[in-house]
Amino acid sequence: MTTDKCTNVTEKCADTKENCDNMVDISISKDVLVIGAGSFGLEAAGKIAAQGYSVSVIGVKTACARQSGCTSKMLETGKVNIMQDVAIDSLAGVTGDFRATLIKNAGNGAEYSEKVEKVFGAIVVAPQYSYSTLNKKYGLTLNDKVVSQSQFEAMIADPESQKKILNGVNGNGSTVAFLTGFAQEGDPTSTSRVLTSALAVQNMENCNAYIYAGNVKVGAKGLERLFTQGRHAGVVCFKPSQMPTIEQNLNDGVNTVKITIKDPVVRTDVELTPDYVVVEEAVVVGQQNLDIASTLRIDTDLYGFLPSNNVHRFPAKSNRDGIFVVNNSLDAANAALKLKELIGNGIKRVAANKAKVDEDRCVICLTCYRSCPHGAIFWQNGAAAISPAACQGCGICASECPMDAIQLGDFTDDSLRTSIKDAVVSAKDNQKDGQPLIVAFCCKNSALEACEAATKFGHEMPQGFRMVKVPCAGKVDVEFIMKAFVEGADGVMVAACHEGNCKAERGNIYAKWRVNEIQKRLEKMGLEKNRLIFTTIASNMAKEFAGKVNAFAAAIK
Amino acid sequence: MIVAERKPFDEIRNMVSNYKKVLTVGCGTCVAVCLAGGSKEVETLNAELNLAFKKDGIEFGAETLERQCDMEFLAELDNKVDQYDCLLSMACGAGIQFLAERFPNKPVLPAVNTSFIGVNLDVGWYEEKCRACGQCVLAMTGGVCPVTMCAKSLFNGPCGGTNKTSCEIHTDQPCAWFKIYERLSGQGRLAQIMTVSPPNDWSNQKPRKVIQPGYEERIKAMHS
Ligand code: SF4
Ligand code: SF4
Ligand code: SF4
Ligand code: SF4
Repeated sequence: MTTDKCTNVTEKCADTKENCDNMVDISISKDVLVIGAGSFGLEAAGKIAAQGYSVSVIGVKTACARQSGCTSKMLETGKVNIMQDVAIDSLAGVTGDFRATLIKNAGNGAEYSEKVEKVFGAIVVAPQYSYSTLNKKYGLTLNDKVVSQSQFEAMIADPESQKKILNGVNGNGSTVAFLTGFAQEGDPTSTSRVLTSALAVQNMENCNAYIYAGNVKVGAKGLERLFTQGRHAGVVCFKPSQMPTIEQNLNDGVNTVKITIKDPVVRTDVELTPDYVVVEEAVVVGQQNLDIASTLRIDTDLYGFLPSNNVHRFPAKSNRDGIFVVNNSLDAANAALKLKELIGNGIKRVAANKAKVDEDRCVICLTCYRSCPHGAIFWQNGAAAISPAACQGCGICASECPMDAIQLGDFTDDSLRTSIKDAVVSAKDNQKDGQPLIVAFCCKNSALEACEAATKFGHEMPQGFRMVKVPCAGKVDVEFIMKAFVEGADGVMVAACHEGNCKAERGNIYAKWRVNEIQKRLEKMGLEKNRLIFTTIASNMAKEFAGKVNAFAAAIK
Repeated sequence: MIVAERKPFDEIRNMVSNYKKVLTVGCGTCVAVCLAGGSKEVETLNAELNLAFKKDGIEFGAETLERQCDMEFLAELDNKVDQYDCLLSMACGAGIQFLAERFPNKPVLPAVNTSFIGVNLDVGWYEEKCRACGQCVLAMTGGVCPVTMCAKSLFNGPCGGTNKTSCEIHTDQPCAWFKIYERLSGQGRLAQIMTVSPPNDWSNQKPRKVIQPGYEERIKAMHS
């Protein structure tokens, strides 16, 4: 039977036979590793197990995880195995086939430690951050009345201390003041903690909660609702423009705190002397989480938190396919969802030729392994190998390989060389006298769209301007830039995504490095340095794109 | 490539005699190519050691890595070294040091002497070509290295000791500057030899050669 369509059509693969032949089935292990047995780790584990996958949870169970009750429920499913005092020692392999070495009694001062190797299809990290109380920033000393958010959470969870709050000083309830968002920029997680505790207080008989909020964020799902719920219950929320005046009196057995704010409307002071003051906390990354990130080869954000930010990435995903990071309930749900897409029934159909290593050329120098932002490369039988499931087709590896041993299916070196040549030839045909011939390498995730829109909206650009499409600026080899000049370009522009916005995490940075390096060499080759520029742009910046091209043209005229 | 020679067996035997479990670690690149420390040499050495220590009950394990000069490959041993109390490396000095860095709590012993950077003359036969001086003058010298080949490492030669194509130190040792003269004149650029290169401070050395045990006969037969 001859047909244009693949005989094996799946939902995603309604493609031509030729393209479909380039698909491969990959088996994905249905076992999942969850690192971190805190409440979010266990929540994720429960959701994943409910989808029918076996989950191993490693780490130390926290107090709130233990009392959340989810543990016993999960254990009943038989799908979740919680291993206390086990840590991850090393990780090899790629998505679908991660080989983790787990170490028992790690760093516990225990007499022996035991290592086991296990295969997992996917990994979920639920970082367990520690907290440092910011009482000093409020000029407060912690004691039984002035407590940290964590301490207060433990108090309302403990029946004894709960009773104390309920009774108050003279048997008729307590007033609790929460201080948040003055000592640091608030984040949704800490806002949610404050709102939850305040609501719990307000729901206790005769108790009142007051929130003093500085810079707080409610931009997370469910937070707005929690806020309204609190307000309806009677939680009072002040949002003064600056930190309240706080006077703590600890003289002669006295133990009071007076909080004063200026009401901007009625211009009077509003004073409160609460029974308890709850102070916000800063999250501390901790070496343990940094170690986990480096063992898993996933990026952290600027402050060291997992995962790194990337607008192109679905929440809870890390820079490595198959590794998720869960920092809250929503992440737990998202991770479970994406994990199901990844693992499915254990077989995944993926494009085979996103990037491929020519084993005969490869000298196993590990350059590609070290530069792939998605951890998609491993080695076997004396050559590098790329997992078609993990590879995102950015081409950074291909540009870095000293042996030209890696080719991208959609952007082979030969096809790019042809595109460059064609671009120059067609530009020459259209070029107006005195106008420079410009070749712009445009990342398909940003500059390409900006460029196409610029043309569509009729923004004027020089006639001698041509674009060469690349999968990511990281695929712009030194060789290609030079080729454009050799073919006759007067100027070459490399247009990438904005910093911190690259779909391939650092393709834009690689491109910038290469441009900087070539710029240094250009003068020795007899060309002015300004004939090569690197620029960043977003896909919706059509006008700016045209502006950049025109400015460049004017500069090299 | 980097060329190495296995240490004399007695030296290796003395080094490991105080340990109970020894992991012999080969390197799959340079030292494998020069037949000193690849997988086969690891097995051979272990067989010899097993025989020698039969009564003492020392155990010898074997692993050969792609390279010992890359941490990623050394990491492949992470789960294995715990069971050993000493590591015996057959890589070059660079690899041995890197292995010792990876496992700082384990004694790491060298099973080979790292000889030089050289070329392959035939199976098992190598010659030094470069001293990694960091200031290559081959452009001036017709592609013949005076640092390696000249006994005085002269950047400007020949010296008065040049003796009818040989070096004054031995008639078997060709004069590097005679070779340079020949090469440059053959290319019609003999004038180049008059250009003065700033001299370097090198001590007297002559190129070293290695012929691995077991290959002497073959080399004699093939190259006499
Ligand atoms: S960069 Fe190229 S030569 Fe080096 S390991 Fe990767 S594929 Fe092989
Ligand atoms: S193309 Fe990009 S994602 Fe794919 S292996 Fe190469 S560097 Fe990694
Ligand atoms: S460790 Fe030494 S012998 Fe082994 S590959 Fe590296 S340089 Fe060559
Ligand atoms: S001059 Fe000789 S020793 Fe120096 S780098 Fe060149 S070949 Fe090597």
